[in-house]
Amino acid sequence: MGKRYQNRIELLQGTLDMLILQTLQWGPQHGYGISQAIRVGSGEVLQVETGSLYPALHRLEREAWIQSEWKLSDNNQRVKKYRLTPAGKRQLADERSRWEMLTQAIAGVLKTAGS
Amino acid sequence: MRLPWWKRHQSRELEEELQSHLAMAAREREERGAAPKVAQSEARREFGNLLLVEETTRDMWGWAWLERFVQDLRFGLRMLAKSPAFTIVAVLTLGLGIGANAAIFSVVYGVLLRPLAYRDAGRTALVFMNFSPQNNPRGNLSLADYFDWKAQNRSFDAIGLYANGVQEITGDGAPEQVISAHVTANFFSLLGGVPRLGRTFVQGEDQGSSARLAVIGEALWRRHFGADPNILGKTVMLSGDLTTIVGVMPATFQFPRQQTELWINYRLAPPKRRGPFFFTGIAHLKSGVTFEQAQSDMNSIARNIEHVNPSTYARLTMPVLPLRDAMVGNVRPALWMMFGAVAFVLLIAMVNVANLTLARSAVRRREMAVRVGLGATRLRLVRQLLTESVVIGILGAFAGLAFAWIAVRALQRWNPTNLLPRVGDIRLDWRVVVFTFAVAILTSALFGLIPALRASASDPNLALKEGGRTGGLSTSGLRTHSALAVFEIALSLVLLAGAGLLVRSLIELQRVQTGVGAEPRQVLSMYVAATNAKYRDEAKGVAFYQNILDSVRALPGVEAAGMADVRPPNWWEEDDSFNIDGQPWNEGAFPSTPVGHVMPGYFETMQIPLLRGRYFNDADRHDAHGVVIISWSLARRYFPNHNPLGHVMHQSQPALHTPPMEIVGVVGDVKYQGLDSKTSPMAYYTPVAQSFVEAQFLYVRSTRAAAGLAPEIERAIHAIDRDAVVNHEQTLEVTISNSASEPRFRTTLLGSFALAALLLAAIGVYGVIAYSVAQRTQEFGIRMALGAQPSDVLRLVIGKGAALGAAGVVIGLVASLLLTRTLERFLFRVKTTDPLTLVTVAAVLGLVAVLAGYLPARRAVRVDPTIALRYE
Repeated sequence: MGKRYQNRIELLQGTLDMLILQTLQWGPQHGYGISQAIRVGSGEVLQVETGSLYPALHRLEREAWIQSEWKLSDNNQRVKKYRLTPAGKRQLADERSRWEMLTQAIAGVLKTAGS
Repeated sequence: MRLPWWKRHQSRELEEELQSHLAMAAREREERGAAPKVAQSEARREFGNLLLVEETTRDMWGWAWLERFVQDLRFGLRMLAKSPAFTIVAVLTLGLGIGANAAIFSVVYGVLLRPLAYRDAGRTALVFMNFSPQNNPRGNLSLADYFDWKAQNRSFDAIGLYANGVQEITGDGAPEQVISAHVTANFFSLLGGVPRLGRTFVQGEDQGSSARLAVIGEALWRRHFGADPNILGKTVMLSGDLTTIVGVMPATFQFPRQQTELWINYRLAPPKRRGPFFFTGIAHLKSGVTFEQAQSDMNSIARNIEHVNPSTYARLTMPVLPLRDAMVGNVRPALWMMFGAVAFVLLIAMVNVANLTLARSAVRRREMAVRVGLGATRLRLVRQLLTESVVIGILGAFAGLAFAWIAVRALQRWNPTNLLPRVGDIRLDWRVVVFTFAVAILTSALFGLIPALRASASDPNLALKEGGRTGGLSTSGLRTHSALAVFEIALSLVLLAGAGLLVRSLIELQRVQTGVGAEPRQVLSMYVAATNAKYRDEAKGVAFYQNILDSVRALPGVEAAGMADVRPPNWWEEDDSFNIDGQPWNEGAFPSTPVGHVMPGYFETMQIPLLRGRYFNDADRHDAHGVVIISWSLARRYFPNHNPLGHVMHQSQPALHTPPMEIVGVVGDVKYQGLDSKTSPMAYYTPVAQSFVEAQFLYVRSTRAAAGLAPEIERAIHAIDRDAVVNHEQTLEVTISNSASEPRFRTTLLGSFALAALLLAAIGVYGVIAYSVAQRTQEFGIRMALGAQPSDVLRLVIGKGAALGAAGVVIGLVASLLLTRTLERFLFRVKTTDPLTLVTVAAVLGLVAVLAGYLPARRAVRVDPTIALRYE
């Protein structure tokens, strides 16, 4: 059972990390908010499982790319919000450029293979 | 699951975080118009398994491995507590193996590896001289050689000399003899010795014109001088010479000997001749120079010296020995041998515990199967089982440390003749503790791995299908079990064979004839010194000895008394070549031979048989013509066909023109160079009156056990001279027995390891057979119900033990033949392939295997078939 989730994390790792960091660029957000933002932002294509999201958040926090603090939400509920750190911003830039290289490279390969 | 304290807070926060996620998801659904109940359950469903999300998230915290370890540890401890018998046997077995290793390790470390307490000891060397005909690789230098060396030296930045000796302290309280050393002025600074009080010698204090100075050891200072704080500058009488004390060395300074407590400055004047050879060189390497370079440098110096003095030296070398090698070189092989032996004991202990664990894991097979069924991975199971093994290992390490502590204490107390150098450096310090725990964890991981892999490999389906029956070992499991038992028997056979060989050679050693006819128990010997200044006149010294003999012979119970500077079986002061008139001399044909300087009465007291001619008598005085008595083997070698009496012999080489000595007697051979000496027991004797020596052993033969005579004799000697030093009283019996104490030490140690190994192997075989009997109770019940006789079952079970024994013995014998070769250097008159030893040892182990099978076999026979069939 545990295996299933662990596999997902591995599968999504990297990209999920990048998506989370990207989402947090617009300001501090809690876990639920992040998952909603990714879902909406991807046009409902990407569903982030909680079993992947929370381990990823805690891992990113340990890497010091994001920071968390407890805040009160609009309707007076205590929520834990995550915020991008300067190191996180650098990491995001790194990952983005790598991602772009990757997609371009793959696109190039697909194009030559197709023609 | 209970979490450790440091994680409870973090866990509560995570829970709250996830709850808030759920709440927000539910509210959004409500806002979109869902009923609260429906909204909540949909949010839940979307969220997934809350507990699992919590757990995978917690894994990110980085403490997961520790948490699991703590969990495994707790579980392991609980499992061990549940089977105390297993735990105790396993811990004690391992403790024995680990403890023996820790004890020997601390000895090996303390003696061989711990840095010496002297400054830069790793670059300090002793320098010896080796030349024909003496051929002693640790031979001494003469003063002339030292000056030559000093003039040509290129490799060392400091060179000095020392010589061991004894000194009598007289005049001030009771006379006392102490172990002393004469040293050059740079001796202390070379070794970095710092005095506790006062100073050491300063440069220039070893000239012919220097004052006689002494540095004393702390123990001597406390014992003889009552720790007098004003000791510095005091003068004492040392062997008849007034000497000024300038310093006190701390008790930690133990060089050249462990017992040296008095250092006297040399007053060296350039010598007129080559000899006497009294000095050992000590030197410190220049920076950047290796011992090898220093040795090749010394080789060329030795060639130069030999070239200039061809009549004194042949094949001269000057061996350079690192200080540590010089101090411990002779015990090194024995200690490494012991280390090897205890490693075997540990291996056997390990195999035993592996066997126990294997047997237990068979019983726990269903537990494992259930765990696999519930989703545990194989890695997880192996880790769980390994943790349990490591727990046993750590408990074993504690038991082992306790055991080692006792063993080291015992070893230090039992070192009566100072066999082990640096015994004070043997301690159970942090290195030993680290070593012990490293060994414990490593071995426990090893012995845990086989059972763990086996247990976790079992197919859960099979294990669970066995239903109500207690899980048993599969055939292959039993095979592993048996293989381990065979391995154990083989290992202990090797140890037993080694111990057996040592025992055999010890017996051989004690059978050696010393050549003394008198009953050793009835001969008392003691050391008497005439070094006091008033005996510098040799005639007075001889008279002093003569007076002692006269008054001792007058004591009641004394049958005979005599004196000599040799003592069987292993003490001789001087050896020298010789030449015989009319026989062409060359150094190879006349080897250096012990020379005994004896007072009349020595041969009679020791009852060394007279074969030809006469013993010495009072007429062999200083002014009478020179006489000599030779031993039987010397006579046989140089006078094979004619009577040696009347021939003339000289000490040393012809070139030295020593005075002529007429051969007046031939006596039986006596061992002076050790019981295990392989050299011929040749010796020659001269009367003390014609060749004075300053100290003698007094021998007294009594009608009864001689030990009780000592005080009376001492009183008689002190009546003649109250300053005379008398010590080392012991019967010849004790002397002979002490001379074998080194082989006895080795034999006892190896023997006890071998016995421990035998015991462990017996337990191991017993365990395997007992376990297989327990497994087959049902089968035996069926057999007996079908008419098998108890004797059939008995034969079946014992046969199994015997088969294991036979396999182990065969493997062990082959291994012994290969391994006991390393013992060769410790053996005396016994071959490493000694068939008697090997057969005996094989028989003992075979017997043990059969016995170990017999006990469980009896239990199998007593089984009531009706109970056995219901046995679960």
